[in-house]
Amino acid sequence: MNLSLISLEIGVALLGVLVLLAGLWTPPHRRSALGFCTALGLTVLLALLVKQGMAIETLTDSSGGFVRDGLAVFFKALFLLAGILVTLLTMGFANRLRTGGAEVYALNCFALCGMLFAASANSFVMLFVAIELITITFYVLTSLQSHRLRSLEAGIKYLILGAAASAVMVFGIALIYGSAHTLQFNLIADGLAAGHMKQLLLFQLGALLLLAGLAFKIAAVPFQIWAPDVYQGAPAPVTAFLAIGSKAAGFVLLLRVLYTAFQVQPDGPRLLEPTAMFSVMAAATIIFGSLCALRQRNLKRLLGYASIASAGYVLLGIVALNERGAAAVLVYLAGYLFAVIAAFTVISILTPEDEDEDLSILANLHKRSPLMALTLTLAVASLAGIPPLAGFLGKFLLLRAVIEPAATFPWLVAVALLGVVASLYYYFGIIREIFWGTGQWWTEKAPETAAIKLADSQVVVLVVCVLGMLAVGLYPQPILEIANAAVQGLGL
Amino acid sequence: MTDVGLEHYLVVSAALFCLGLLGVVIRRNLIVMYMSLELMLNAANLALVSFSHHQPPSPHGSPLDGQIMVFFIITVAAAEVAVGLALIVALYRKRQTTDVADLTSMKL
Repeated sequence: MNLSLISLEIGVALLGVLVLLAGLWTPPHRRSALGFCTALGLTVLLALLVKQGMAIETLTDSSGGFVRDGLAVFFKALFLLAGILVTLLTMGFANRLRTGGAEVYALNCFALCGMLFAASANSFVMLFVAIELITITFYVLTSLQSHRLRSLEAGIKYLILGAAASAVMVFGIALIYGSAHTLQFNLIADGLAAGHMKQLLLFQLGALLLLAGLAFKIAAVPFQIWAPDVYQGAPAPVTAFLAIGSKAAGFVLLLRVLYTAFQVQPDGPRLLEPTAMFSVMAAATIIFGSLCALRQRNLKRLLGYASIASAGYVLLGIVALNERGAAAVLVYLAGYLFAVIAAFTVISILTPEDEDEDLSILANLHKRSPLMALTLTLAVASLAGIPPLAGFLGKFLLLRAVIEPAATFPWLVAVALLGVVASLYYYFGIIREIFWGTGQWWTEKAPETAAIKLADSQVVVLVVCVLGMLAVGLYPQPILEIANAAVQGLGL
Repeated sequence: MTDVGLEHYLVVSAALFCLGLLGVVIRRNLIVMYMSLELMLNAANLALVSFSHHQPPSPHGSPLDGQIMVFFIITVAAAEVAVGLALIVALYRKRQTTDVADLTSMKL
């Protein structure tokens, strides 16, 4: 085993343990220094990764379960960036968690470590352990505000449904192992290509169960029921990490399983009818997310439904089953990262302690804090796909992947466009509340007008997110090149 | 008297899995649901071990792969139980209940 291959993952895990230990000796008023140190450590690791990643080559460890190629490096950078921003965002929120103070940073590091392993998974053992490391850490993170019933309730719902999904996934892996006699993605692909897969029915059943488990991670219909409750109940920084990190990890694993292990191709051997399956799933996900978001007044729950809908758009890139679609998935997720973290940063600052995240808290935001109003406006505009922001580029590429070279699914494109129209309605509801909202009109309570003072860490997060959204949207060339290079190794 | 073969193990494994799934869907007590989840994981373990034992010699992949996977599953399941029971205890302290019907503070 070549340890230098997993030096990044070791670094993140060590950082988590160090923060946890340092928390024991840190007096309560110095706790935010821990968050700063974590963010600093992660930034150093990201810099090292970027420096290494310039010369991308495919490296595999001796057992073949871990691979470090362009796709892995892209997602590792994405996860590290998300980890840094979420850590900074947590610093301003830590006093509301009522825990020791160091746990949340350490748990963020452990979840991040699982995501980094997921980006490199090349066997079902690695896939399973990485997913469980992410999910089990998120059970704890979700219910970290255990004095709030909602947080606890969200944690338990996530726990039961998540554990059921992973049990189904493990059974699927067992069935795949039974027919392929190996757990490694490459060897499964070899076996499929050579045609000595005897029990094809067993393999198909296993693949279906496995895909169900992965669909749970990305919250695609019909495995989405956990998402709104968990998004609403979890502390806002955790929701942000869940929305980008956990979801992106699900997508990178889905790409690897479909393309590296199952060698799914539009004109290849018909193993699963993947295009039909995923197009129905994408359409249902878009419709469900959009319809439920329309009448939602709780901000976190609204973004939860919106994130279900956006998972549907990302699935469009997988329906296409080509390199363009896969690259579009990467570009969309990169833009999604900045928009989602920006939105949840604003929510985490605005939400009063022990109150609901009702839309009315946004009233007068443009007077109370122009920076937050600008960021939230740009974030929801980017999520809705307004040019020239990052979200527009991603949605455009995803739609183009389904339309070109031939519009195989005109109805799917129609559903996606209807979803975009619906999203304009619910996202602009948020913008309307910011600039023209009248607060809680049903209680005759005048909306807050006091200016909000932001901590430095929060300003940094907001500014980075705004710059990121604008940069990806206005200068798409670099990210497009990186994404196109990253998907080369998938074997499409 | 026939020998016990791969099929017998698989039938038991499938039965265990279905029982576990049924338990998660039907029962309303969190602890019983959690036990059912463990049953599902162990059904997968049984399937993996029996596949591994009856695997024909093949050019690639060690026949022990499946058994190694089982160790990972057992370890992960232990971690999951630790977290899960802690959450259920925290809920019980707050609400004096372990019934899912009481988890309804968030609705559409």
